Amino acid sequence: MPNIVIDDREIEVPAGTKVIDAARQLDIMIPRFCYHVALGSVGACRVCAVKFVEGPFKGVQMSCMIDAKDGMVVSTTDEEAVEFRKYVIECLMLHHPHDCPVCDEGGHCLLQDMTISGGHGIRRYLGSKRTYRDQYLGPLVQHEMNRCIHCYRCSRFYQEFAGYRDLGVMQSANRVFFGRYEDGILESPFTGNLSDICPTGVYTDKPSRFIGRRWDYERSPSLCINCSLGCHTVASARYRQLVRQEARYSEEVNGYFICDRGRYGFFYASHEKRPRRALVEGEEVAYHQAIDTVREKLAQISGSAGPEAIACLSSERSSLETQAMLKRVCQNKNWSGPLFFMEQSLAEKVKTATARLEPGLTVSLRELEQADFILAVGADPINEAPMLALAMRQAQRFGGRVVVIDPRPIFLPFDFQHLPVRLHEVDLYLSLMIKAAVDRETATELGPSAAEFYQTIPTLETAAVPLQEQIATLAQELRGCQRPVIVCGTEVVPQTTPALAADQVLLLKAMDKQTGLFYLMPGANTFGASLLSGDDGSFSTTLESIEKGKIKALIVTERDLFWKYQNKQRLERIIEKLDLLVVLDYVDSETAQKSDVFFPVSSLYEAGGVFINQEGRVQVAPKVYLGGTPIKQNSGGGHPPRVYGVGIPGSEPRPAWQVVVEIGNGELPPDEETAFATTRKWLAEGNPVFANLPPIDQFPDDGVRLGPALDVGSRFSLDWQTERHPKRNSDGLELILVDWTFGTEELSIYSPHLRQVEKEPCLSMHTSDAVRLGLSSGDKVAIRFDGGRVEASLCVAENMASGVIVMPRHRLLEWQKIKELPRIVRFEEIEKVSV
Amino acid sequence: MPNNYPQVLFQNRKPDRITTLEEYQQSGGYRALADVLRNYSYKDVQEALVEAILLGRGGAAFPAGRKLMTIADDAPFPRYVVCNADEMEPGTFKDRVLIHADPHMIIEGMIIDGYGAKAEKGVIFIRPEYESAAKILEREIKIAKEAGFLGKNIMGTDYSLDIVVHRSAGRYICGEVTAQLNALMGRRPNPKQPPPYPTEKGLWDRPTVLQNVETLANIPHIIRNGPEWYKSLAKTETGAGTKIFCVSGRVNKPGCVELPIGVRLSEIIELHAGGMPAGSEYKACLPGGASTRYLSKEFYDIEMDFEPLRQVGHRLGTGAIMVFDHKTCLVGATLNLTEFFARESCGWCTPCREGLPYIRDLLARLEAGDGREELIPMLQQMSKHLWSSYCAFAPGAVSPVESLITYFEDEVRDHISQKQCPFK
Repeated sequence: MPNIVIDDREIEVPAGTKVIDAARQLDIMIPRFCYHVALGSVGACRVCAVKFVEGPFKGVQMSCMIDAKDGMVVSTTDEEAVEFRKYVIECLMLHHPHDCPVCDEGGHCLLQDMTISGGHGIRRYLGSKRTYRDQYLGPLVQHEMNRCIHCYRCSRFYQEFAGYRDLGVMQSANRVFFGRYEDGILESPFTGNLSDICPTGVYTDKPSRFIGRRWDYERSPSLCINCSLGCHTVASARYRQLVRQEARYSEEVNGYFICDRGRYGFFYASHEKRPRRALVEGEEVAYHQAIDTVREKLAQISGSAGPEAIACLSSERSSLETQAMLKRVCQNKNWSGPLFFMEQSLAEKVKTATARLEPGLTVSLRELEQADFILAVGADPINEAPMLALAMRQAQRFGGRVVVIDPRPIFLPFDFQHLPVRLHEVDLYLSLMIKAAVDRETATELGPSAAEFYQTIPTLETAAVPLQEQIATLAQELRGCQRPVIVCGTEVVPQTTPALAADQVLLLKAMDKQTGLFYLMPGANTFGASLLSGDDGSFSTTLESIEKGKIKALIVTERDLFWKYQNKQRLERIIEKLDLLVVLDYVDSETAQKSDVFFPVSSLYEAGGVFINQEGRVQVAPKVYLGGTPIKQNSGGGHPPRVYGVGIPGSEPRPAWQVVVEIGNGELPPDEETAFATTRKWLAEGNPVFANLPPIDQFPDDGVRLGPALDVGSRFSLDWQTERHPKRNSDGLELILVDWTFGTEELSIYSPHLRQVEKEPCLSMHTSDAVRLGLSSGDKVAIRFDGGRVEASLCVAENMASGVIVMPRHRLLEWQKIKELPRIVRFEEIEKVSV
Repeated sequence: MPNNYPQVLFQNRKPDRITTLEEYQQSGGYRALADVLRNYSYKDVQEALVEAILLGRGGAAFPAGRKLMTIADDAPFPRYVVCNADEMEPGTFKDRVLIHADPHMIIEGMIIDGYGAKAEKGVIFIRPEYESAAKILEREIKIAKEAGFLGKNIMGTDYSLDIVVHRSAGRYICGEVTAQLNALMGRRPNPKQPPPYPTEKGLWDRPTVLQNVETLANIPHIIRNGPEWYKSLAKTETGAGTKIFCVSGRVNKPGCVELPIGVRLSEIIELHAGGMPAGSEYKACLPGGASTRYLSKEFYDIEMDFEPLRQVGHRLGTGAIMVFDHKTCLVGATLNLTEFFARESCGWCTPCREGLPYIRDLLARLEAGDGREELIPMLQQMSKHLWSSYCAFAPGAVSPVESLITYFEDEVRDHISQKQCPFK
């Protein structure tokens, strides 16, 4: 490990450390523009110049380009270096418009900081300034090219790091331009990062333009709850309005970046239509009045029909506190539930995944970037968890191979191999590939069940499947790799896939590989839900009980029943049938609108909360701001507000767990720390995995990964073999409901900005099926479901399995008319709509 | 006075047309290749070039043989050989003349160089304005291939090489090795600071050896006549071979001449370029294109060889001699050159992208009579800073500026004190 002296202080750093990073370890911040840890060194801006006094390099050199070596003596304060840096800054400011007062970057601008600290104050250049024409880049990022200092960070992030091509560098010399070939909405779902990495105001956060300076904001670390990855964010609020989110560095989860769904998905929190008053039968009432009403009605129902006539339904987006509290109240009161999932098969798959995440197998998102072979099964990263796609791209960029086994038309921003097979074939293809990569002896060493498991997988030759050669080649590569990871989805895959993926990972691990297992889950706290979810009952039995009149009251916390359920008519009927529907939420969902009693609850930003991501990482989101109606909403934008009263307007919502406690007649704990401590203690009684969680104010930045969370159960099950349904449907297409990056996620759809980048929802089918039906891309088609017709345009794709039709659960599609799932759409049920 | 020096590269040069394959063969062409393929290992080729002290003729003067030697024995395949015909250095036109004179000499040189690198694919990267030269090369490559000198199993041996002609999109920076390789791969022509060197990871991360047109044309002759003969061609101890000088500016007979390395500047101007017009006095010249330093009168007799020039702080560059007389304003000339460089910067690093237009602005003010005393130290300081740019472009670009102040500071001051250009 080389020893280097920087500004008379010595430090030992790992070989390969750049001098700029070595200095940082001494808390010496060498100026930089083009250098970014995630993007690497390119030596373009020249502002990190330092003087090399001793060692293999001499004179003024760029500290980002030179590895620290033994014997190096470096001065950052040397006159020559300081003079050069000052000159570079002068150059960068030649054409800068000096518009800091009206620039949204002003106040957190690296260029501003460097110009001031670099000592360039007097303008010497007498020439005229260069100007550019700005472009419209969509609703998320504002372009202002005149401010550009040509650090190339944007194009390097956009093209090299993220893999999209529609923004880049054009022209040469001092006319170099960064932007698109023409105005238009940026194609990448990672565009918001441009605002984060741009060292000045060329790319600024468009939704928060002109709202405030950074020092005006209430800023706090937070978490993203728009998918299961749990990326780290910084949330900013001003005048009681959440206005901006940025990526927060996380060593283990998201690194430096986040996706646009996460960044711009927060608008529900300050949405104008957000319900802020308790409602009884649609009438606004005081919070305590609503509590009294609910308690009274629940007591009646409990008295007349027994406590089990009251059912509770929790949610995957609720914090662990809310989930746990609902369960506790249910247990104390002997109410039914709580249920955490509306789909029983999903619950089971998620529970399997939770159980199979054994220590030593689990990999974090950042660890996944190190993989040299990624096998994704039933996962559509860009649509289900965009940051996963970005992590996979990093693995691919550094030589890793990515293979996706999935029927859907998968797009990823890099080269990968897609095996587009039907859902029931996913298990088989996964197994074929692993078997071809793993020796029989290795499997046998794992014990008799593993040996039998291995034995019963057909060989590539006997299986005689299409794509055989491709699988053989890939298996050969898999055999040679060191750090393979299997990524497994839990939504579209067959029941058996999550367990099978874990078993195959065990086989690979036995080949002396550093093997990883990475599951995707449907919600931000699905992991927590699966830990708390009991074995008693499913949502469909609950529905039946309601229909039979056995269950008379339903308490729903932070969930829209209609959002992910395929039979809208049935839900409407059961809501009619219920004596009491109590809904707690912070969005004005359809379920909320149909409730008998509604409680507004705090959002993540007002209440904070504990969430467990899909790898079992327990993370804490602190409160960002106190809550209340945004000032501009109750004062017409004027300031100060002309509304007088006691307390903050619109601050009635309180954390859902508190409402749950009060509905259950419980005593509220004196403060939140006690509340969390009590909850944790109670959780630990149910599952020892919670026993070692630190107090809430001592949580490490990257959270705590839970140990083995559930009993692993039986390994090497042969169930997947019997569960297979190899017969093809010759008279129809298997319907697959899927998520899209934008337009299908419950919270982010409240963002007016993301609505503008949503794609028009379409159905996808394979070319061969389209030919058979006489359809082509762009055709408007209608499917006759039992609940009615669903119309959408058609996308015909070559890169997907035949025999399936893929439909997004898009907010603009009435897919809830499907009624029954699983569903085969018969050919005669699909018709072309003439326009 | 006629040029009585031995003509090597121009031995078949004709006033009106190119040398055909037949004529080239009659002059001994492709015999070196036959010899190499039969009797040389690739290492032997490398050693022959090292021994002959063949220095790169594109301006940087890197030893051609040593470049080949930096390819590791176990380096991966395919390997590439690239001929840099992106001749865009102001004042330089030797490669165009050479291609129009004797294209097969370049092709043969490229095959031998490729053999020395075990390359299986060759690319001639040519300036788009040289369309006629590109067509000639394409046609002659085809002819060479039909004659069995290119393609699979050259001359019945197991060495194979194909050459394609690639037209540049047309920027000066594409002449820089690493920028050229980026351009060939379809990327922006930004230079890439080594390591890794192109001979380790060049085109598509494979070993790539890149040589100037003139450098390659020398190779068949070195093989055929031996390194000793080659060295004996030069007039200086340190030098070897001949050099094509492109003489332009204030001379009676501008043009391209092949002369021994080490011939004196005075001889070139007075004898081979027909002297300066009556009434013109030598003031300065740029010895090797726009990115070299002005040679003032004190160097009028200097030996035009890499080493003697280096010793007095100058560079031979491409050997493109631009002659200025006493009536030419060097501030104006420097402004003109800086204009070119400011335009041709790739825009990658700050000092070059912004600093050159800055310097251009200062020079324009001086030339227009708007100059002030403090511009002189500013120019000096900024030129110095441009040496800390990313690649060699900016240090080359400021060479005229720096030498202007070193040798002609009085002339610059006259612009300031007279508040106008004294030559106008």
